Amino acid sequence: MTSLSDIPVIQTPPEAPARGGNPLANVFDDFIRYCRSRSLFMLHYCTGCGAIELPPAMTSRFDMERIGIQPMVTPRQADILLVTGYVSVKTLKRIILTYEQMASPKYVIGICSCTVNGGMYWQSYATAKKLNDYLPVDLYIAGCMPRPEAVIEGLKALRDNIEAGTSDNWKDYYQRYDHYLGNQQRLFGADWQTPTEVIAEAKHYGLFGPDTLGEHTRRLEDHRKPLEPLRMTLNAGRLEHME
Amino acid sequence: MTPLDTLYLASAATLAAMLVLGDWRRAGVLATLMYGVQLALLFTMQRTGSTSFDLSALGFELSWRFDALSWFFAVVTLGTAFFASWYGAGEWLRAYTGRRRLFQSALAANVFAMLLLLGSGDLLTLFVGWEATSWAGFLLMALAGGLARDAALRYLVYAMAGAMALLGALVVLFQAGGSFSYEAARATLAAMAPGPLWALIILFGLGFGAKLALLPLHLWQAAAYSETPAPGSVFLGGVVGRMGLFALALVLVGLIGIPHLQALAVPFTFLTAQDVVAWVAALTVVLPTYTALKQNDARYLLAWHGIGQGGYMLLGLIVGSALGSAGGLLHVINYAATQATLLMVVFGVRHRVGHTDLNRLGGLVARMPLSFLALLLGIISLAGLPPMSGFVSKWMVYSSLIQDGRPFLFLAAIVGTLGTILSVYKLIHNLFLGQLRAEHEQLNEAPLSMLIPMLATATLAFVTGVAPGLVLGWVADAQAAIGLPVIDYTLGGIASPRASLDMLWVVGVMFAGFGVGALLFYGAGGKTHRVHQLDNYAGGHFLDAGMRYHYSDNFYAGLMHLIGGWYRGSFHWLEGAIGSGLSLVAQGAGGWYRAINPAFYLLAASVALIAWVAL
Repeated sequence: MTSLSDIPVIQTPPEAPARGGNPLANVFDDFIRYCRSRSLFMLHYCTGCGAIELPPAMTSRFDMERIGIQPMVTPRQADILLVTGYVSVKTLKRIILTYEQMASPKYVIGICSCTVNGGMYWQSYATAKKLNDYLPVDLYIAGCMPRPEAVIEGLKALRDNIEAGTSDNWKDYYQRYDHYLGNQQRLFGADWQTPTEVIAEAKHYGLFGPDTLGEHTRRLEDHRKPLEPLRMTLNAGRLEHME
Repeated sequence: MTPLDTLYLASAATLAAMLVLGDWRRAGVLATLMYGVQLALLFTMQRTGSTSFDLSALGFELSWRFDALSWFFAVVTLGTAFFASWYGAGEWLRAYTGRRRLFQSALAANVFAMLLLLGSGDLLTLFVGWEATSWAGFLLMALAGGLARDAALRYLVYAMAGAMALLGALVVLFQAGGSFSYEAARATLAAMAPGPLWALIILFGLGFGAKLALLPLHLWQAAAYSETPAPGSVFLGGVVGRMGLFALALVLVGLIGIPHLQALAVPFTFLTAQDVVAWVAALTVVLPTYTALKQNDARYLLAWHGIGQGGYMLLGLIVGSALGSAGGLLHVINYAATQATLLMVVFGVRHRVGHTDLNRLGGLVARMPLSFLALLLGIISLAGLPPMSGFVSKWMVYSSLIQDGRPFLFLAAIVGTLGTILSVYKLIHNLFLGQLRAEHEQLNEAPLSMLIPMLATATLAFVTGVAPGLVLGWVADAQAAIGLPVIDYTLGGIASPRASLDMLWVVGVMFAGFGVGALLFYGAGGKTHRVHQLDNYAGGHFLDAGMRYHYSDNFYAGLMHLIGGWYRGSFHWLEGAIGSGLSLVAQGAGGWYRAINPAFYLLAASVALIAWVAL
């Protein structure tokens, strides 16, 4: 289950267009990416001891807001999901729920060795070892624990990746949903589900790929009870009566 | 027959019709039409004045006449009555289990009594109208029984104490001037020594302040207004308390005059009578507003705001400048539209759900979206934010306080507005936002007969917010009628070199801003995505229908941690202490009376009476 090839590798930025091309061809996309990378809201899901290094990273000494990153209280408005330590099986369910509630584009950072390979909890029966089996992690900041300098460095690296357009692992979750769902089902059991309609969202974002659906999503369809959004209506009582 | 005679006849006819036909199935529709006729008659009347009948009794002249101030308040009264009655004419009336004839008659009697009060042409007539209004109000408040009866009895104590104070003031004034006419009273007051004048101001303040619920006479109002059946509550909350403001405007501003109040100093201090009244008004803004913040019943929350908003009106009026007094008077009509809207929505929710407990509601926007819209417009207006009309009148009051050089009063007004914003957010959040309870899944929107009036009053509050000039003309005439400087207004607001406001521009720019935002969002291909209400973030918890995450109880816990210690219930303590003191005195007197031969007292009293009559 653990092969190095599963870990996403940061690809080198695409080659600059050859001279003679239109220099303004990508200017709008570049501008959007620049803006996006300079204004990131971070939801920190503090699971382990790595959380202790976040207050200094956020506050005046290291001050992550100078690179445009600040905390956000809800996943709906957050861009970065920061997982800061060992992830127990129970916690992982919550992290996946939180991740799926975030609006795209979204980025996941795993802090501490525990998120990379289980760290000192390698032998525990109750922890997930590799975060990127279950979520598309954009960046790991290894260490036990990484100091605030390392956290800031990691965030800067993410910022640069976003600006360069190489940090789009969130698309991978939609394109290869069956793979991630399979790993989740292996850990949580076959009746695992979250309220979010990931497949519908994949279609919504235009990221529906050949690997979005598979045997695991079929298993999901068997037991899933979809949650319909509340409709705004003037006569709910009468409608129910007619049905 | 003068137009005012016709109006009074129409109003009396409404009362008579309700006394006879009040039990009829369509009585509500009939009453609404008749209030509509009265409103139409009022609009055909000349704003600047009309006289009606005189009659003389016991050697005193009683006369009724309308000036622009009366006309202004009459518009608010009849408008509120019209919409309140419409609200209660359809499904609400069919579901109403109380005594319909009594209810319809009480509402009509209130309107008639208030019109009589507004038309009073001298101080004696004012007293007659005042008493009629008080008793009619009591009838409306008490008819629901139970809690309502207790609240109404409490009101009655305040109203009667106020009436006695008023009677005392009239006696003092009559002794000094020998006449009840306004002209004589004006001349007497102008020549009066500071001591008696202070006594008069206090007596009038007690008399009229009880109705307006000025501090510390405010404790009765919230319960009395809230427990009344829905249209009655809308009417009471929208306009009835404002009769106190009408009378104060008439006496304090019209008879005594702002310059005279400014010249009247409080002995041994640097304060004047105007400052005292202004501070009473400012405290009436602040304290009840923060009491409203703590209410857990939507009706009570709004009723407590009614008390606070009365403070804004008096505050603006007593500043006395053209801007301030126009703001105070304009707030009467703006507030009536706002409060009527809000109460109609809240009672609509009550009609559907059965209660208005803010801790047991939530998420109703998905089931009652039009009510939500009306409530949203209403709370924007109540909080004094553009584009609604409440912004215009409050802005005028604030500006006048700044221009008049009263920073602390300005601060008090702002603190009051802060409390308003906080509590109206609590109102809309706990009612309409958040999680819809499982038991409310099948709820219908309020019936059409209730929706139309609430949307109509919300629209009125919006239209008079965009174009305040539509009603500022009435305000300007009312100002002229009581000798205040007259506001210079335009369709969009106020044209003044020191403070000008053009709501047409304000609203235009505001909506243009929303337009730009929408253009950016939809122009860039933005799509919205609706999710189920259980697909929500609660620290990562998986939510299910059995789990409540609608945060409503102890709503402003953090704020209460800071200011909770200030809620000491001092006024309740004061009321209780006065009540206990009076009861002790009464017991003592009763005991003394019973201990010695009662027949002797009866005999002595009879002999004294016969002697007085004979001599």
